[in-house]
Amino acid sequence: MSGARRREEPPHAQQHALANGGGAGPRGSVWGKALRSDSAWHDKDEFLDVIYWFRQIIAIILGVIWGVVPLKGFVGIAIFCLINAGVLYLYFSSFQQIDEEEYGGTWELTKEGFMTSFALFLVVWIIFYTAIHYD
Amino acid sequence: MSSGCRGFVCCLISPPSFITSLLPLKYHFLPGGGACFRERGGGGGGTMSTMFADTLLIVFISVCTALLAEGITWVLVYRTDKYKRLKAEVEKQSKKLEKKKETITESAGRQQKKKIERQEEKLKNNNRDLSMVRMKSMFAIGFCFTALMGMFNSIFDGRVVAKLPFIPLSYIQGLSHRNLLGEDYTDCSFIFLYILCTMSIRQNIQKMLGLAPSRAATKQAGGFLGPPPQAGKFS
Repeated sequence: MSGARRREEPPHAQQHALANGGGAGPRGSVWGKALRSDSAWHDKDEFLDVIYWFRQIIAIILGVIWGVVPLKGFVGIAIFCLINAGVLYLYFSSFQQIDEEEYGGTWELTKEGFMTSFALFLVVWIIFYTAIHYD
Repeated sequence: MSSGCRGFVCCLISPPSFITSLLPLKYHFLPGGGACFRERGGGGGGTMSTMFADTLLIVFISVCTALLAEGITWVLVYRTDKYKRLKAEVEKQSKKLEKKKETITESAGRQQKKKIERQEEKLKNNNRDLSMVRMKSMFAIGFCFTALMGMFNSIFDGRVVAKLPFIPLSYIQGLSHRNLLGEDYTDCSFIFLYILCTMSIRQNIQKMLGLAPSRAATKQAGGFLGPPPQAGKFS
């Protein structure tokens, strides 16, 4: 899938970012690009960072939900893996419409930050489960 | 002296005694709001169990040790000119090499391929030098952490610090149920929770502080299980 019709940052957004002294500008523009569909990602590392941090956020959210419900056993782990991989796959393939080959294939994008997010998910899950159901 | 003051003074005198001074205490909610640590058996208000206090303490210890490790590495390695120069060189060469590999075609001449091989060799040498520079901090961290782990293991020996919402696989139970009594494998030992916390917290701290090597550099050096998290500051 080519990036021929990538959505570029509108000029007024860039000027606004610069006018703000650039303090929140660059970060703001990356978040803006991450939340807009079909954005242009000239820096591959930038997009991989987006994938990484989205994975961590998903891990925290699912860890809290799983701990509160509670969802127990390996079913919880399996569902986490499916949701983590699935949501990010939909994000980069459908929402951002990335050419996976540019990043080394779907597997490279799928494993970006996965182990760290898995560990984070387990920690958050354990904390909330212990706090709510064994306190 | 109030328990809060006692904890603070203990922290200054000796970090281990600060930790042990917190362990026998229970966390009490005060009627007018706020909270404090009190000796066990103290009355009044709701109480947080010792187990959950241990859980939070281990997360806190993990954050502190991650920051300590990065601090030691910064002092010994990151702030040195040699490291900065080598890192910049490796990143520049990695990106250049990656771009060259992307543009090279099947019909590329032997000259071009030899040039790429030479660049790869140069990059490998720089990566090796970078690893040697980091070795200093690895020894220091290894030494510190061996001592710290010995201390924490003795402090938390035999204590159930959390409840696992799953039963770990049998070969992980040796770690998750280490030195714990009974056959309930949802009891979590200190070392298992600490390892999980370190895996998640340390890498995120490195990434947030921009202290990890770049993906291109790691790929060229050959990452373990794929490239680890990258130096990218979220800019």
